[in-house]
Amino acid sequence: MATQTDPESGTGGVMMRDRLVKRIGEIAAGGFLLAIGGLLVWILSTQVNYTLLTSTLIARRFAEAFLLVLRIVVISSLLSVSFGVLVGLGRISTSNVTGRIAKGYVEFFRGTPLLFQLFVIYFGIPRLWATGQFPIQDWAVPAAVIGLTLNHAAYVGEAIRGGISAVPDGQMEAARSLGMSRVMALREVVLPQAWRNALAAIGNDQIILVKDTSLLTVIAVPEIMSVFRNINSNQLDPWTPLVWVCLLYLAITMSMSQLVNGLERRSDWGSDNSMLGRLSRGTSGGDTEGGDR
Amino acid sequence: MADPLVEFDGVEKYFGDVHVLKDVDLAIEERDVVVVIGPSGSGKSTLLRCVNRLEEIRDGDIRLDGRSVLETDVNEIRQQVGMVFQSFNLFPHKSALGNVSLAPQKIRGIPEAVADDRARELLERVGLGDQTDSYPDALSGGQQQRVAIARALAMDPKVMLFDEVTSALDPELVGEVLDVIEDLAADGMTMVLVTHEMGFAREVGDRIVLMADGRIVEVSETEAFFERPETERGRQFLSRLL
Repeated sequence: MATQTDPESGTGGVMMRDRLVKRIGEIAAGGFLLAIGGLLVWILSTQVNYTLLTSTLIARRFAEAFLLVLRIVVISSLLSVSFGVLVGLGRISTSNVTGRIAKGYVEFFRGTPLLFQLFVIYFGIPRLWATGQFPIQDWAVPAAVIGLTLNHAAYVGEAIRGGISAVPDGQMEAARSLGMSRVMALREVVLPQAWRNALAAIGNDQIILVKDTSLLTVIAVPEIMSVFRNINSNQLDPWTPLVWVCLLYLAITMSMSQLVNGLERRSDWGSDNSMLGRLSRGTSGGDTEGGDR
Repeated sequence: MADPLVEFDGVEKYFGDVHVLKDVDLAIEERDVVVVIGPSGSGKSTLLRCVNRLEEIRDGDIRLDGRSVLETDVNEIRQQVGMVFQSFNLFPHKSALGNVSLAPQKIRGIPEAVADDRARELLERVGLGDQTDSYPDALSGGQQQRVAIARALAMDPKVMLFDEVTSALDPELVGEVLDVIEDLAADGMTMVLVTHEMGFAREVGDRIVLMADGRIVEVSETEAFFERPETERGRQFLSRLL
């Protein structure tokens, strides 16, 4: 040990402590895995009714709910990202009016619960047709899409705004000094970089959007949690449908992460030397070659 | 002789309460290479940035080819004035070729193939014919700055402005950028350069403009300035360099 100990910096001691911390971490993580894994195995072997789990009855009902959720997610996702880009652009607008409206929008939709917003749209809006009949018969799914879109556009807007402000001022200046208008400079130079900067945050938000569809059970959308509640109350068996619920949400969220990873790779032009950028490229050090694409 | 290509006429510029350009008069003829020197904070870069209206002036006028830049559309002015920055500011999401051909395509509507061919020529001219597909991140500082010069040239500017373009470079990379600028000078490009490289100023400049405290204190032919400056400020400035 004497050779490892540097009397000036005490490297030996630091190395010992580092190794100790690492070992404690391993023990903690391993213990956690054992506890959760054991619990899971126990639940799966004693609590889950496999006849029910694989029965066509339950499978068909979850499949229907899954396809509905998938449709809602795809539409709300596309709409909230598109609208969110506009909100982000509004936030950086040179017009005071636009900027304040965008800010107010974000404050409202980020500052109130999604459930409240869904109630406003689902229960509140139809009541505005005091005299006549509200024209849309099946309002639950459209209300869900509107609610999810408006809510998540606020988060996407903030991600875009952050992405734009992370682009160095020199980029706008260089584009403008070539004679581009501000709009052209934003479109051609700033936004492509802002998009890359914002992708991780947007992906994060869209995964939350997927999970937020579980709230739609309270506005009578026959989604995954509704199927669970129904089966649980009929069969008095929570664990069997919970397995379905878990796998279905993971199927959507994990595909969503894959999609975001793919987009991040596609918009990687090699100048991202952040830890995240290197991780997403699967390279570990300074040996990145940005030019060979 | 016709109108000067660039003419400063009683220019006054403030940053808030700070008076950064004071009654600046300067005429730059076509094919002229003017080097602006002076201590930091003397207003050299600001002078440059007023030409393409990256900075707005409070009083006086700046004329480009006889037309007041204040009365011309700002984007139109900038298309006629090429600018190269200290920090390159290349577009990281575009290849070297993409950096050079972007503005002609988007602003002038030149077809991509034509703009790319021209961009290749320009990259060739700055010695980067073999790096057209490289992204800025894979280029050295000197290479990036040469791409930036090619990018500015792609809009066929009447005048090129160089704002301390070698200050951010490693010393061994300065030469390749200065070679490109010298080459442009030899081709008759009208240029205004702000620089701290006195050797280069002496080599490439037709005239030296010395600034101090927001004023032009001396304008002299290059050799004359370095041999026997006319003003006390000029003598002081040179003596501090030696």
